[in-house]
Amino acid sequence: MFEIEFLMTAIPALPLAAALAIALAGPRILKGASHTVLVVALALSMVASVMLALQVQEKNQEEAANGHAGGAVVTKTLWHWATVSKANSAADVSQATAGGEALADSDSLDFAIDITLRADALTAIMLVMVTFISLLVAIYASGYMHGDRGYWRFFCYVGLFVFSMTMLVLSSNFLLLYVFWEAVGVCSYLLIGFWYQKPEAAAAGKKAFLVNRVGDFGFALGVFLIWTTYGTLNFHDTVTVDGTAVIDGVLGANRIAQGAFATGGVATAICLLLFVGACGKSAQFPLHVWLPDAMEGPTPVSALIHAATMVTAGVYMVARCTPLFDAAPEARYVVAAIGGFTALLAGIIAVTQTDLKRVLAYSTVSQLGYMFLALGVGSSAAIAAGMFHLVTHAFFKALLFLGAGSVMHAMGGVIDMRRFGGLRRLMPITHWTFLIGCLALAGMIPLSGFWSKDAILLATYEAGGTGMGSWEHAGTFYMALFVAASVTAFLTSFYTFRAFFRTFYGEERIPAEAGHHAHESPLSMTVPLMILAVFAAGVGYVLHAGGAFENFLAQTPGIGAVSHEAAGQAAHADGHGAEHASAHSFVMSLSIFLAVLGIALAAYFYIGELKQIDRIARWIRPLYRASLGKFWFDPLYNFLIVGPIWLLAQLCYFLDRYLVDGLVNLIGSIPPLAGRILRKSQNGMLQMYVLATVVALLLLAAALVLPQLPATEDDSSRQAPADPAAVSWDEGRLEEDNAGRVASAVRPSLRVEGNQK
Amino acid sequence: MNEIALLQNYLIVGGLLFAIGLVGFVTRRNMIVMFIALEMMMQGVAVSLVAWSRFHDNFGGQMLVIMIIAVAACEAAVALSLIVMMVRRSSNLDIAFWQTLREEGQEPTLDVEVPEPDDEHEDWPELTPAGVEPELKPEQIGYRSRV
Amino acid sequence: MTLAQWLAIVAALMGVGLWLLLPRRIAAGRSAGAVLVTAALAVLGSQLVPPGAPGTVVANILFYALAALAVGSAVCAMTFRSPVYCAIWFAMSVLATAGLFLIAGAQFLGVATVVVYAGAIVVMFLFVLMLAQPEGHAFYDRLGFEPLLSSIVAAVLVFMLTLCVLTPGTLPNEAPIDAVKVTADGEAAKPVVLNERHVAAIGQHLFGEHLISVQVIGVLLFVAIVAAAAIATTGKRSEEAQAEEVVS
Repeated sequence: MFEIEFLMTAIPALPLAAALAIALAGPRILKGASHTVLVVALALSMVASVMLALQVQEKNQEEAANGHAGGAVVTKTLWHWATVSKANSAADVSQATAGGEALADSDSLDFAIDITLRADALTAIMLVMVTFISLLVAIYASGYMHGDRGYWRFFCYVGLFVFSMTMLVLSSNFLLLYVFWEAVGVCSYLLIGFWYQKPEAAAAGKKAFLVNRVGDFGFALGVFLIWTTYGTLNFHDTVTVDGTAVIDGVLGANRIAQGAFATGGVATAICLLLFVGACGKSAQFPLHVWLPDAMEGPTPVSALIHAATMVTAGVYMVARCTPLFDAAPEARYVVAAIGGFTALLAGIIAVTQTDLKRVLAYSTVSQLGYMFLALGVGSSAAIAAGMFHLVTHAFFKALLFLGAGSVMHAMGGVIDMRRFGGLRRLMPITHWTFLIGCLALAGMIPLSGFWSKDAILLATYEAGGTGMGSWEHAGTFYMALFVAASVTAFLTSFYTFRAFFRTFYGEERIPAEAGHHAHESPLSMTVPLMILAVFAAGVGYVLHAGGAFENFLAQTPGIGAVSHEAAGQAAHADGHGAEHASAHSFVMSLSIFLAVLGIALAAYFYIGELKQIDRIARWIRPLYRASLGKFWFDPLYNFLIVGPIWLLAQLCYFLDRYLVDGLVNLIGSIPPLAGRILRKSQNGMLQMYVLATVVALLLLAAALVLPQLPATEDDSSRQAPADPAAVSWDEGRLEEDNAGRVASAVRPSLRVEGNQK
Repeated sequence: MNEIALLQNYLIVGGLLFAIGLVGFVTRRNMIVMFIALEMMMQGVAVSLVAWSRFHDNFGGQMLVIMIIAVAACEAAVALSLIVMMVRRSSNLDIAFWQTLREEGQEPTLDVEVPEPDDEHEDWPELTPAGVEPELKPEQIGYRSRV
Repeated sequence: MTLAQWLAIVAALMGVGLWLLLPRRIAAGRSAGAVLVTAALAVLGSQLVPPGAPGTVVANILFYALAALAVGSAVCAMTFRSPVYCAIWFAMSVLATAGLFLIAGAQFLGVATVVVYAGAIVVMFLFVLMLAQPEGHAFYDRLGFEPLLSSIVAAVLVFMLTLCVLTPGTLPNEAPIDAVKVTADGEAAKPVVLNERHVAAIGQHLFGEHLISVQVIGVLLFVAIVAAAAIATTGKRSEEAQAEEVVS
């Protein structure tokens, strides 16, 4: 048997290696065989996940036998990423504890990020589900994406995605969680916009990424707040650098045992911010707008990412932070409210959609709302119910999406339900597997969806009865949510079978694009459908019987009977045994009734002609129009957010183009301008050249000569010397020698004394 | 004579002649008038040289003036033959005709507007006829070529 | 008023006057220009020291008259629109300059100037004008190239020249011609330039000290004749050849 540490590293490493291999060898070498690398890697990963789960179970049993109430956690540090030593002082951090006890004010905390993997029960559940669904989707995609130009690119992205998702559930540090949170967002963007040359697909990818970004912003703020409150971002306990003290992790054993969590406003803020991140990733109101558009991606992508794995990351994260939420019950109310509201909203919208994939997308949003509703109730049974619904939902929703993909493949890319019908004889396998998926989604006993949805409804009903937390109106609140959840259950069943009957029943219509595709899908696509159908049918009963899932999940530290709050609630619930049983039977019969009612009404209206539904649509015309228009969230966001940002971007564009570029161009245009001016002096006219020469000479002369001129004072002696005596006129004389010849002569001249003119 | 004052005055006269000659050379467009201005500049220089020669009581200045006169004569001969050749090409004495030696892409200096000749001396002097009046061709009546 | 300011006024008046007088597209203000130039010359003349000995009148009158005539006819030569008038005014200016040479004791040069310039060169100009001048006044005689700029340049030039000459201290304080020279025998030496046998002295000097220059000048004159003949006739021949090419 392999060691658990080895399995923990192998599970994400195999898809990563496959993705790298496909990236390097895919375009030229593997081409149409790129899927083999990934399928092999995912199969090995899945086997490793199962072995990991079994080993975790073994370790849990060991711990229970040793008397430790909590479950086992195995951590493995791969390497040390970064440390900022003495980044925070213990005086500023309220909840920093070491070994369960508060730190002294003088102690300092390091900001240490390790790449640490963590395996416990929750992780094991997620890993098995993720790798199994990924494997089936990869096999399906090898048939669906056959002949596509970017075949190798698809499998490379899927490998990257599985790596990111597995690392997300394995990471033991909030920062690492955030990194892989973003990574799955990136892979989702890449895969939604896989056919990037189609503008709608590119826009949908952008929208998904940007809306996720809004949620991630809240998540980041929550992480910051955790750092300032708890002094560490690790889930696990870390040893200080000098090895003396143990700094308790946020979800470490000591902290959970002591219950040393922040309460009050800070805790509520942390939990709400983390929940904002979960809303973005799991498409809850108001950040749900990206999921229906994400259907532009290939159908295997929709099945893998937007049904089973990525959108469940939010649920996983809230479940992981259960101790934090336990300390802030007000946050739980918000979670439940938003979950319930989204479930109802999405259910109403799904009733009128005509695109089969969009119906399933809104159905996903609605079911995620159910999961958050369960997590918002907060009792251990409710949390277990939420996670259970996550697992079963993964199976039947993936099945439904893959079935829709099969239909789309046969219909030549047409997925509008108004254009095809009556396909049950054309595609029998798809028909029967789709039926199983629909029954599971509708919550029909004894399929898996029934057990999980029933558990959620039961937990909500009980919380409605007994109340939860400190709010006095909690009981009424949860009862209202229960009513909403029941209505949603009815709507779920109705729209699911509406889609089913419109697609597979009625008169057989095949659109023109189908061509020669209109036949049952190949084996590579139908075998995963069948496997998923088996699991969608059976996994619910198998895991629910004897509370196997609940017990396994309760072995996770933080979730389960160990946490204080949950312990109180569990005792509370067990104490009312008889009430519990009657409530249980009431809820069970109610959910079966709602499911059957939905199926019956759908059959009545949608098998055969559709006249009567039009009449009803006219009666409830405003609600119909609102539902058909998806409650106008997209136009509203466009107007409120996208519009102003677009205007700001245009302003910046104009500033950049005219101000910044204009300034640069202005500077750049100075030499040509100077040249244009200076060029005028070279006009070929001789006289211009002469003039230029003379001007230059004058300037030169002025520069050289004028400074040298002796200074002239204010001279009144310009005209004539003021003093006549200073000027003398020498007549000159001829001097003769004694012979009478001229000996010398002095010529007449003017002599001026002083200043010579 | 007040030698210093004489020198100063002669230098000033020479300078003025030079400056006026420069103005004429740059401004006028008739090639002959440009040449006249050139000669006038040389006259200004000659005046200065003669003044310095007297001031220093030295024949050097006057020698240079003799050379200047000789060189001016040679230069006039060669220049005028060149002007004659240019006139044959362009059939006028305008120096603005010869302006192709310019920057690439530069527009030529063209006459935008030409002022009208003022009608001066339209009235011919009335002379007493002496002898037989010549037979004037029709196109000659009312028109006299001016130089 | 300092010297620089006087001279600036003179130069400005002269510049504006010249600009008004020069042939421009809008030919107004010629009379005003004439008045301004006259005023400038008058102001300048009043600033000059009379060159004659104190008490002499004729020398001063002669100098001022000849100088005014020279400069005035120069201005006229440059500003008249008819090129023949320009040539005639130039001849006038040359005659005035010859007179100035005579006063300065350069008799030979005065006569030589009259003979060569006013006699030969001006006549040559007139011949070429007769050859090339079109009927009536040509348009290019009525236009000027950048009159404003050249007037400004002339004004600046005049200002600088007069400033340099008139600033006391730029010229030597003692004129060498005033210094008494004594020959080896102890006699008063005769002046060189202002000699009564001036032409003989100049001839002796020319063919004595500057003999080489004279030879060179002779060669230069010869070359000029040959060149002028060559250019004129070659041009004619090549033109005929071109005309023949065009025809054939």
